[in-house]
Amino acid sequence: MNPSAHETNEEPIVLLIDDSIDVHRLLAARLRNEPLVLMSAESGAEGLRLARELIPATVLLDLDMPEVDGFEVLRGLKDDPATADIPVVVLSGLTASQDKVTAFDLGAIDYITKPFDITELRVRVRSALRMHNLVQMLAQRAQIDGLSGLWNRAYFDHRWEEETAAVARHGRPLTIALIDLDHFKSINDTYGHPAGDTVIQGLAAIVGEETRASDICCRYGGEEFAIIMPDTAPTDGVMLCERIRQSLKAKQWARHPNRQVTGSFGVVGVSEGGNVNISKEEWLEKVDQNLYKAKKNGRDRVEVTDLSGAPVRLADTG
Amino acid sequence: MAHETEPIISAFADDPEMADLVELFTEELPKRIESIESAFESQSWDSLRTIAHQLKGAAPSYGFDSIGQAAGTVEHRVKDGPDAESLRGDVEALLSLCRRAAAGSGGNC
Repeated sequence: MNPSAHETNEEPIVLLIDDSIDVHRLLAARLRNEPLVLMSAESGAEGLRLARELIPATVLLDLDMPEVDGFEVLRGLKDDPATADIPVVVLSGLTASQDKVTAFDLGAIDYITKPFDITELRVRVRSALRMHNLVQMLAQRAQIDGLSGLWNRAYFDHRWEEETAAVARHGRPLTIALIDLDHFKSINDTYGHPAGDTVIQGLAAIVGEETRASDICCRYGGEEFAIIMPDTAPTDGVMLCERIRQSLKAKQWARHPNRQVTGSFGVVGVSEGGNVNISKEEWLEKVDQNLYKAKKNGRDRVEVTDLSGAPVRLADTG
Repeated sequence: MAHETEPIISAFADDPEMADLVELFTEELPKRIESIESAFESQSWDSLRTIAHQLKGAAPSYGFDSIGQAAGTVEHRVKDGPDAESLRGDVEALLSLCRRAAAGSGGNC
């Protein structure tokens, strides 16, 4: 997946947490024509549970609820990294000014007073949803590499941990490739850094074209790229890398038409049901070793290891 | 005072978006009246407080500010330490307003 392929056109989910069925009916009617999906929780506890499950774009939260009240829900939402960034709009009585102050202190971004003024209700919900979009955009920007437009190293680290954990749990295939541009320093030295930047962008474009929506394409370091391929066996990962290798080699560069650019590829993966007995760090080391092997064997080539076929580390049976 | 028996009409009676909702709310009022009465008679203070609390929040949004205020008073009183005798007046006031709102819906149909 490229960051640019990350957009979604689905209507945002707004979660209403209020103990009064009347308020649910009312807001459902008042927000019927808004481009959003309204979900309901009728207690604080249910609200917290649903918020964690749905990760809504906005939470509308009644403060005055029995048992788990709105303040407690707000604390719960803000304490959990998964829900901390969801804009929370508090529904409060007209007179409860101290409540509003407390709610803002706890991280609410806005409040709507009961009884609801419909115009105000709608614009405040829209404004909360806009806030959500901005927060999402910022969070995403912080994970994108500026030069290549691919995911950055921080995002790679995060996803690599997730994907290796998923393999350990579910025995699904997973393959990773590291790509290193051959003689990149000499391109920079000979044609200047802008030419080098263009090569980085050129490879990023090829990677974007050749990979699938499920692949996670990252700029790993200076002239190094990483592709995490979930649900992909090493044999398929190699085919994908071969396509990238050939496209890169065939590409014409306006700044240096007579100078081809090639890349070396280290690939390590596990097939369906394969038993992986190494840590995510050891896995990456093996990829690095394959990359080194590709360099040593003449560059412009792909070196692969299938962990499921390779002898896995034996248990200490003596 | 004669006006205290007159039907109460929702402040949103003319709002087309709200008409169905207000009707649903007033149709369900007799059920709420019953549950308030029975909670009060059986001195089930927790459930009386819950019902009053919900009415306090909901009624004004359906155009019945006075019910919301009366329900708020009842909720407050129950919270302070329920006592049937001192509560009776406030509960009666709330019930009376609910009955008048329920009557208002019949007249509207």
